[in-house]
Amino acid sequence: MSQMLRVDEGKAGVDHGRRVWNGFGRPIGRNTVFLWMLVPVFVLLGLRIYVPVLQGIVLAFRQYNMLNLSNTGFNGLANFSAVILDVHVSFLRILLNTFVWVAASLVFQFVLGFTLALLIRSPFPGRGLYASFVFYAWSLSGFAIGLIWAWLFNGQFGVANDVLLRAGLIERPIGFLSDPRFAMMSVIVANVWYGVPFFAIMLLAALQSVPRELYESAEVEGAGQVRQLFSITIPYVMPTIVSTLLLRTMWIMNFPDIIYGMTSGGPVNTTTILAIQMINKIFQEYDYGQGSAIGVIIMGILFIYAFFYLKVSARWEVRL
Amino acid sequence: MRAILLLLFLGFAVAPLCWIIVTSLKNTKEIYTFPLLYFPSQPTLESYHRLFSFAKFGLYFRNSLVVSVLAAAGALIVSLVGGFGLSRYTAERGKRLILLGLYFTQMVPGFLLMVPLFNMLSALRLTDSLWVLAAVYGMMVAFGTIMAKSFFDRIPPSIEEAALIDGCSTLQALFRVILPVTLPGIVAIFSFSFVNIWNELFLAVMLLSSESNVVVPVALNSFISKAGVSWDVLSAGIVVSLLPTIIVFSVGQKFIIAGLTEGSVKG
Repeated sequence: MSQMLRVDEGKAGVDHGRRVWNGFGRPIGRNTVFLWMLVPVFVLLGLRIYVPVLQGIVLAFRQYNMLNLSNTGFNGLANFSAVILDVHVSFLRILLNTFVWVAASLVFQFVLGFTLALLIRSPFPGRGLYASFVFYAWSLSGFAIGLIWAWLFNGQFGVANDVLLRAGLIERPIGFLSDPRFAMMSVIVANVWYGVPFFAIMLLAALQSVPRELYESAEVEGAGQVRQLFSITIPYVMPTIVSTLLLRTMWIMNFPDIIYGMTSGGPVNTTTILAIQMINKIFQEYDYGQGSAIGVIIMGILFIYAFFYLKVSARWEVRL
Repeated sequence: MRAILLLLFLGFAVAPLCWIIVTSLKNTKEIYTFPLLYFPSQPTLESYHRLFSFAKFGLYFRNSLVVSVLAAAGALIVSLVGGFGLSRYTAERGKRLILLGLYFTQMVPGFLLMVPLFNMLSALRLTDSLWVLAAVYGMMVAFGTIMAKSFFDRIPPSIEEAALIDGCSTLQALFRVILPVTLPGIVAIFSFSFVNIWNELFLAVMLLSSESNVVVPVALNSFISKAGVSWDVLSAGIVVSLLPTIIVFSVGQKFIIAGLTEGSVKG
């Protein structure tokens, strides 16, 4: 935070001295002009986010089923209890799925992304081209990625099964997306594939800002590669690691697109995360009240998470 | 060792896309043969032909393109003006409050907003319109504003001071003097918005209803629920749907990477 909030002292001095004239012959400060430039941004965000989010929170406490709009009054915590005590899907199961989905995706995306960033940190011929081939997945749609991986993991004609069969590792095809034992693993693989480039891009930029002299003096002292990684590189890029992990956690938690394209939450709800359950409530049951209740739960979890995460990581000078 | 790892990453990254392209070039029979054929015996563009003739994919593609370009351009202009103001604004407390307001938007689950947006728009009878969808997408200006701010932070204010002395207004200084220097930032913000808008599915499903207004992600979504669409046509649809963002990414790659890291690492 500190860096982005730093204000250039010299600039401020100039600003106070200068006045511009509005149409009515009254002088206004430059700062006022700059503030007015932000008005369109906040008018749009107000209509698009701030007002709807308040309405969404209100909706979570109202009975609001599109199939039965005769009574749309407030119903207290009924939506929350309906979601939490749902007899079709155990809420605990959904929470556990969400945790596994977020944690596993995050760990593998980070480890692989960091490895990739370390690998392409020093230049080699064709690095630019190489980067566009390993980074392109970042620009694809989550839903399309879900479809692609659904095809790769297809139980009958999927290439994953074919490779494993030819290698003699399995005897008959595995129903990656229909077998409850493999479904969560499969969607996580797809999400890792999608997320590695993002981590690599963020960490690469941070890696390139590590001063060379640090390594030079470490070599003089006889520190090996592994020592250098843990005592110089990782501490130096820690703020980026911490802020990227926080940002990604929020995005992955709010990101049902891949699962929706691959399993839609099945088989027998083994890949149903909070965001998928919310989609089900809205698009299948048309119960906007319960859907909004899940949204409020997600937002609550994220706020609590961000609060503690930033508290714990304050000593790494996170700049959000 | 390093070369082997680099090759492994490359393989992991490109194999899925290659396999979808191979699938799209097979005929229907060869897709459903096992063990698999790794190269189609007779590569054919039949699935692409079916995609554009029966499924009217050309229309959906055009719809998506119009919506994404309009929305991204609108978001770009608002973000540039706002980001410039934010970068040059000097009251420290106000600045912190504004940034907090911008970062808050990144935390809100998008799905919580969908129902209220839908209700507002249907009360105004504004649903099922590509223009309205573009406007709704174009209103997502928070990340663009943050990115623009960090680009302007690197341009010394003395440049526009000089322009102001020459008699330009603040807006004139922004558009005539500053923007040409900020071209990389402009490319980054536009590409970033374009990619996000092109890929958005759920809001489009909710706001659009008529056949003539279908956009690409909605079309793919209806393919999987429709019986009779086989994996060769679906693969062709996926390949076509990925092309625009891949092109935008490869053109703007350098700037996008700079923009992403500037935008969210330093904020």
